[in-house]
Amino acid sequence: MKKYAKLIAAGDNVVTSVADIKAGEEFYVKAGDRELSYRANHDVPFGHKIAIADIEKDGPVIKYGETIGLATTIIRTGDWVHTHNVRDHYEVR
Amino acid sequence: MDFYGYPRLDGQVGARNMVALIPTVGCVNAVALHIERLIRGTRAFTHHQGCLHPPQDTEQVTRTLINLGKNPNVAAALVIGLGCEMVKLEEVVEGIKESNKPVEAVTVHELGGMLETINKGAQIAADMVLEASKIKRERFGLEKLCFCTKCGSSDTTSGLSSNLVVGEVCRLMTENGGTFIQGEVCDIMGGEYALKDLCVDPSQGDKIIGFVKDLYERGLAVGADVRGSQMTAGNVAGGLTTLIEKALGANAKGQRVPIQSALLYGERPQCPGRHIMATPGHGFENLTGGAAGGAQLILFTTGRGAPNGHPVIPTIKICGNKKTNQTMKSHIDIDVSSIIDETETVAQAGQRLYELAIEVASGRLTKAEILNFDSQMEILIKGPVM
Repeated sequence: MKKYAKLIAAGDNVVTSVADIKAGEEFYVKAGDRELSYRANHDVPFGHKIAIADIEKDGPVIKYGETIGLATTIIRTGDWVHTHNVRDHYEVR
Repeated sequence: MDFYGYPRLDGQVGARNMVALIPTVGCVNAVALHIERLIRGTRAFTHHQGCLHPPQDTEQVTRTLINLGKNPNVAAALVIGLGCEMVKLEEVVEGIKESNKPVEAVTVHELGGMLETINKGAQIAADMVLEASKIKRERFGLEKLCFCTKCGSSDTTSGLSSNLVVGEVCRLMTENGGTFIQGEVCDIMGGEYALKDLCVDPSQGDKIIGFVKDLYERGLAVGADVRGSQMTAGNVAGGLTTLIEKALGANAKGQRVPIQSALLYGERPQCPGRHIMATPGHGFENLTGGAAGGAQLILFTTGRGAPNGHPVIPTIKICGNKKTNQTMKSHIDIDVSSIIDETETVAQAGQRLYELAIEVASGRLTKAEILNFDSQMEILIKGPVM
């Protein structure tokens, strides 16, 4: 069975896995009428994020069309994206 | 598309047709509950507030009780007082009367005890129910609808499916002239700037930021950083990386629909469209806030299965978790796990939910109503409790 990851808003650079995806496995993303395929570089459990574009260090991680955090290292397409490579830049102002 | 509802004299339209029993203070809940058991068609709006508040809370409880009485699901109201409470019974009665619906009052100290008050109150309520039962549902346009929303017992599927589906309904209904109320300040935390960007009037965005700041500072006052308690170890294990990400998943219940105003707790919106109310995440107070805001029903998303409804407004439970849709089937009104499976688009599921909500507004019962899982409510206070 094909494994999917979910794209929430056009322009997001991460998608959310809706299956347990293993390192090296191919996964699919529905973007409007198109179906794109990528390869995972790491194990990515259900509900976790994978990059579908390269993100530079300190670059924005974009989901829901908004910046959810900043990359703490270079993130490559197919990488698992979580607390190990993203920092929370939120402050109550 | 249209719906069928109960016309009210102030131009609002009810999805339900209850006679409300409204205690001004928690001390007389028993009176309301006894009358509710005696007289079919009544609903007791029991809560535990109304006395020993700082003035701001007395004002908030009074405003909420008035606006609950004005809710279009209410055909007539019987206000029940003790006689020594801080919330003034006359103020609640006069406030509800602005909606031109029948309002009467009974006071335990004046009538000489509970049994006398039940006797008189039940007779009034019985007459009110008879009159209310003569009101027939009529056909109205969707601009008469106001929905509120909340997420509870959320999981990974909430921000990926059910919240997005509710967001689609928010878009559809506001495009049709309807009103939509969203809140949960604790869940907004992290997403307040994104919400501000959607505000038609930037000063309203500043109010939303103020709601979050107020919650944060009140947390600090008791030595808690509420940012930490909002982002749990379970959230991180489930795949959420930052508080902003979590907030955006919750805020998705309003999609990117423009925001017209920021409302106080229990305040009624002054125009159609999307509004942000200063409600907490805690369900009992949250749903009461939306009901006081004038919503006829609530779109309640859940991942693990939150069963509670609310006495004033029907609660539609929306779930994107396949397992929960089986294990908690008797509590879930609509299954949107198709979004996770990628077998249905958000737009398709949104249309399906919108149609269900219109049916519920027209009289179809929700699971929480059928199960009588909808008797509990509370009114938000800031405290301190004296």
